[in-house]
Parts: sequence; C-alpha cells; structure tokens
Amino acid sequence: MSGSPLIVLDRVCKQYGTTPVLRDCSLAVARGEIVVVCGPSGSGKSTLIKTVNGLEPYQSGSVRFDGEEVGARGTDLPRLRARIGMVFQSFELYPHMTALRNVMLAQVHALGRSRAEARERALALLARVGLTERAEAYPADLSGGQQQRVAIARALALDPVAMLFDEPTSALDPEMINEVLDVMTALARDGMTMVVVTHEMGFARKVADRVVFMDEGRIVEDRPAAEFFAAPATERAKTFLSKIIAH
Amino acid sequence: MPEPVLAAVVPEVIRDNLPFLAAGFAMTLRLAAVGIVGGSLVGLLLGLLRHAEIPVLSRLAALYIEIVRGTPLLVVLFVCYFAIPALAGYRTTAVAAASLGFVLFIAAYLAEDVRSGLRSVPSGLVRAGLATGLTRWQAFRLIVLPQALRRIIPPVFSQYVRLLKFTSVASVIGVRELTGSALLVNAREFQPVAIIATAAVTYLVVCSGLSLVGRLLDARLSIRT
Repeated sequence: MSGSPLIVLDRVCKQYGTTPVLRDCSLAVARGEIVVVCGPSGSGKSTLIKTVNGLEPYQSGSVRFDGEEVGARGTDLPRLRARIGMVFQSFELYPHMTALRNVMLAQVHALGRSRAEARERALALLARVGLTERAEAYPADLSGGQQQRVAIARALALDPVAMLFDEPTSALDPEMINEVLDVMTALARDGMTMVVVTHEMGFARKVADRVVFMDEGRIVEDRPAAEFFAAPATERAKTFLSKIIAH
Repeated sequence: MPEPVLAAVVPEVIRDNLPFLAAGFAMTLRLAAVGIVGGSLVGLLLGLLRHAEIPVLSRLAALYIEIVRGTPLLVVLFVCYFAIPALAGYRTTAVAAASLGFVLFIAAYLAEDVRSGLRSVPSGLVRAGLATGLTRWQAFRLIVLPQALRRIIPPVFSQYVRLLKFTSVASVIGVRELTGSALLVNAREFQPVAIIATAAVTYLVVCSGLSLVGRLLDARLSIRT
C-alpha cells in the first residue's frame, strides 16, 4: 500500500456553457479516509464527486484515482469505475430486477464472475445490510431506506477500493435515514475510503476525518472534522452550519 | 362443437363454404403473423436507430417513419405489388407483396413505440449502471432495453391488433384472406348478412384473443415504480 493519496483532484474546473460549476477544486483523499463534502445546494458538491469516477467530465485540471488520470483518453473507464462504488440520492435501482439481481448484475457483466459466485456474494452483502429476507423483492416493494441499502450492497458487490456517496439520505423519510447511516458508519469502521456528500452533520461529526465545505463551485474549507465543527474558518461556512443545525 | 349445435349457430351458407373460408382465415393469420414478426424486427431496428442519434442513419430512419406514417396502407401495398418489383426488376405475388407491405407499414408505427419506450427509461439508471463498471452498450442492453420493451407492451399489442384488421386490405390486390374469401363467396351466394357477419365475428374473436395475450403479458412483465 503506497503512502500517496488514493484520490487526487488538482485545480479541476468545469463549466456548463459559461456558467462555472467547479472552480479550481483541489482535494486529496488518502486510503481509509472519510471525507464529508457539504455546502449549499448548487455549490458543486455532487459534480465534484462525480468527476472522480468520470461521470462528470471536466474542462481543465486533473483527477487521479490510484494514480490513473480519470479524464485521459486512454483510460478504461468501465474498469476504473468498477473499483469505485457509487451511491446516488435517488437510489437508481433497476426497477425490472429483484434486489438480488440488482446486486448481481455488474458482478456478472463488469467483473465476469459466474452467476453462482455473484449470487453468493450478493446474498452475503444483502445480509450485511440487513435485507436477507428481501432478496427476491422488487425495488417498488421496498421502502426508501431498504432501496438505498440495496444500492449500497450493489456498489460493494464489486469490492471497490473507495465509495462515493451523493446525498444518500436526502430522498429518505426521516425515520429511514438512520438505517442507511448505520450501514455507512459500519463501512467506515471497516476502513473503507469514503467521500460523502451529505447534510447529515451528526454523521459527519461522528465518522468523518475531514470536512470539505463548498460554495459557488469552490472548495472554501478543507479541514479536520473536529476543527471544522468547533469553529468554521469562514463566515460562509458558519452561516451554513447555523442554518442546517438550527433545527 | 357437436354437429347439431354447429348447425344451429352457423348459417348453412358458411358451412357449405367452410373449407374455402377457412383457407382465407388461415391466410389472414399468416399475413398477420408475418407482419407482426417481421414488423417487430424492423420496427425495433428503426426505433433503435432513431434513439441512437447516429448522424445519417437516424435521419434516414426518421424520414422513413414519416413517409410511411403519412401514406395510406393501400398505397403501401400498391407500391410493394407494382412499383418496387418494377423498379427493382423482380416478379412478385400478391401474397408476398402484401406480406412485405404489412411489415414495412407496421414497422413505422412500432418504431415510434420503441423510441418512446427507450426515452421513458430514466437516465439516472444508465449512470448507475456505468458507475458499476458496465460499458455503455451493456447498460443499454441490460438496463434500458428490457425496461423499454416491457413498458411498450400495451401500445405494441394495439398495433398488432390494428395490423390484424388491416390484413383485410390485401383483398384489394387479390389476396384471398378472410375478407377476400368472404367477398368471393358472397358474389356467388349473395347472402351478405350471414357472410359478412361471420367474417366480422371471426376478426373480433381473434383481435380479442390477441388483446388478451397483450394484457396478460403486460400484467406479468410490467414494471411497477
């Protein structure tokens, strides 16, 4: 295991037309590190983490994952993405497949595992997220929290070296948020490298090593979590925190 | 059906001409089957081309669909019976021309159903597939296409039912399908009420059966969201 960071963003810029979305964003995430990205909506958080697995192209700067330039022409994106798990705000489970088959699909088609092996792995992961008895259920029959846990199992099924979470609890009813956060916390305890876009400051405080605060496409603060929560350095972050923690 | 019941329900003129009418009915089923199978394949191809946005091919597919949808079926059959063989220099039969015409005609409508089905699959699902390391083609084949095809079962079956009734138009170019046979029998026997009613009931029964198959498939395969 090398000492160099697993994920390195260097002066990444992106714009839609003339609207800048990311401005000179630089960030390094070490193996095993948990980084929470927060900030007001429209600040570029989701866009930022999607540059890591190449779902969002960028115009300048560099994004490296495990030494490999994500935006380079020759990069084998499918192979790279299979090493990075991603969990979306709206779950994005395949509605025509059972939970089990959702978790099996990429194992078979992206990794080339046998169906038997994929099935065994999928069942183990569904057990890990507490959904053994829902393996044959379709997404429409699962609650939001259950769907998101299946989505986490789907991402873990590829044995990723890092996980990206894009507001994983924002679409959930309040009583289901904890069941998802519990799974994520357990994952963090197991040493998974995680970049999490979230407004769950309780989770950030408990689990994150570092907090990145974004505003208007810029990384405004990037500090150890304890420091950030004790005293945000910028006025912008202070205002943001007081707004989301006030209630 | 036992003989006495058959006699009571089916008019004599039909019983007398049953083998001839049955052959016509068989031809109707054959034309519909060829149209459904061939039209579905061509329609799927055209729909995929429309969806894929390949520079020239997608425009050509769009043009084809536009032209066929703006042309009466009878004209399409004439084109297949007279114009295409004349231009391409081959001989054809009324049955072959009608089969080709139905395939080309219904494919244009099915292509639009395929395209709308493909468009209805949320792009977030493709992104989720890509994020797990699937290639674009795998994401399309495993995630988009199966959902699109399931979603369009109802409109596709209503096209199939339309096609089944449209096969009657083949009688105009001399194909002896159910309507053509019925008209020939009527010309000899002149019992239009019994003969036309029998044909109508036959179409109704087959169309209802086809609709039922569509509904059963839809109930079994439709995606709840």
